[in-house]
Amino acid sequence: RYVRQLQRLQLLFSPTAADARGARQFVEEAAQDFARQHPDVVLYVSPHSGPGPAPVLRAEYLNGTVREELIASKTSEEIVQLATKMANQSGLDIIRIRKPFHTDNPSVQGQWHPLTNKPSILTVQGPRLQPQ
Amino acid sequence: PAMAARLLLRAARPLLAGAGRGTGLGTGLGTGLGTGLSTGPPPEKKRWLRAYLELQRLQAPPQRRSEKPNWDYHAEIQAFSHRVQENFALDLLKTAFVNPCYIESEEARRRQLGLDKDAVALQLQDNTGLAERGLRFARSYLAQCFEGAYPELPAKGIEALVNFLTSQELVSYVAQNLAIQDLALCRDFPAPPDVLQRTFLAVIGALLESSGPERTGIFVRDFFIPQLIGKDLFEIWEVVNPMGLLLEELTKRNISAPEPRITRQLGVSTVLPVYFVGLYCDKKILAEGPGETLLAAEEEAARVALRKLYGYTENRRPWDYSKPKQELAAEKAVSSN
Repeated sequence: RYVRQLQRLQLLFSPTAADARGARQFVEEAAQDFARQHPDVVLYVSPHSGPGPAPVLRAEYLNGTVREELIASKTSEEIVQLATKMANQSGLDIIRIRKPFHTDNPSVQGQWHPLTNKPSILTVQGPRLQPQ
Repeated sequence: PAMAARLLLRAARPLLAGAGRGTGLGTGLGTGLGTGLSTGPPPEKKRWLRAYLELQRLQAPPQRRSEKPNWDYHAEIQAFSHRVQENFALDLLKTAFVNPCYIESEEARRRQLGLDKDAVALQLQDNTGLAERGLRFARSYLAQCFEGAYPELPAKGIEALVNFLTSQELVSYVAQNLAIQDLALCRDFPAPPDVLQRTFLAVIGALLESSGPERTGIFVRDFFIPQLIGKDLFEIWEVVNPMGLLLEELTKRNISAPEPRITRQLGVSTVLPVYFVGLYCDKKILAEGPGETLLAAEEEAARVALRKLYGYTENRRPWDYSKPKQELAAEKAVSSN
């Protein structure tokens, strides 16, 4: 069955800073809907008062990866899109994939090895029998 | 990447008064500038102090997630039940996460703090009962699944497969990837594998109590049987004498004893020879297996023959996850008591 890999989202922002306006609007308008649509993600909203670090959306996945994304000067809709994108990701590292193909069944009739089409020792080659 | 993000965060807010101080140019200039300014944002930490604090942060021992900020146990448990797409009775689920080592450590801590005897005794129940019920149910359900899917497999093989699937490493691996190590209450961190195994089996037991045997059976099937993908039968089941086992199987089916013959050979006089030995019954081929020496090749051929007889080859039909298996419900209700 499908198990969503996102465990929890932490929204860290400041209630007075100018670039956290989108985050504040998101909390007021869209956060509840987002939490209702994704009941298996725990959404933590933690405003830290006073000037501090930039507003950030921290995502923790089931395999332990923690990804932080800056939401400074983003609108509420953009934050919703970003949150859904992180909710649909798995916690694997975002690195270059070496090859865009993979198969679990590399060979259907059996992989070739040097003895595939060679006759075995047991085939006895004698004189052809005359038809009677 | 965490460090890069942290440095980026600090750069994102250009501080007005602190920009000059943050370069670590020395205390003289800093104090000189400081007296003349009104109170602005707090000054950034010095460059060398930042490096030291970063080192301290990286060398700190790992902490439980419940001790870090932003943790709500009730919400996490609800999210867990939604994530697994099952309806749990929440109090049963909460008892399932309580381990006996946690209760002992909590009582010891309270006794150390000098509380009364009434306050020392915790109101929590263990998860040992639930874990036992979960283990019994899981074993019986998996045994029934395998008996249905591989009817030729003998009892010892089924037992080996069930033991592998309920072993500590596998169950604790599944539990780690479902983030049960965050929710489980236990004495030491990170939780040892037997604690994780007990917690996961207790979760299965709690599901059994809340939703009944059918849904629990589907749960066990969905999380345990995919762990068999890519595994070979004889990796899981240790067979010492495959030839003897093969002879027993053939006598049960009234087929004559197999006759081993060399089918192909390569590099006989070299260091790495390869022999293909075929087993023939009544001059018809049963199985063929490769090996370095003739004995090894014969043993491998016996294993290939056993795999074919038990129906556990690599090209068998994949497991059927579709139908909910109604006919097992009655047997399960009897066996899971």
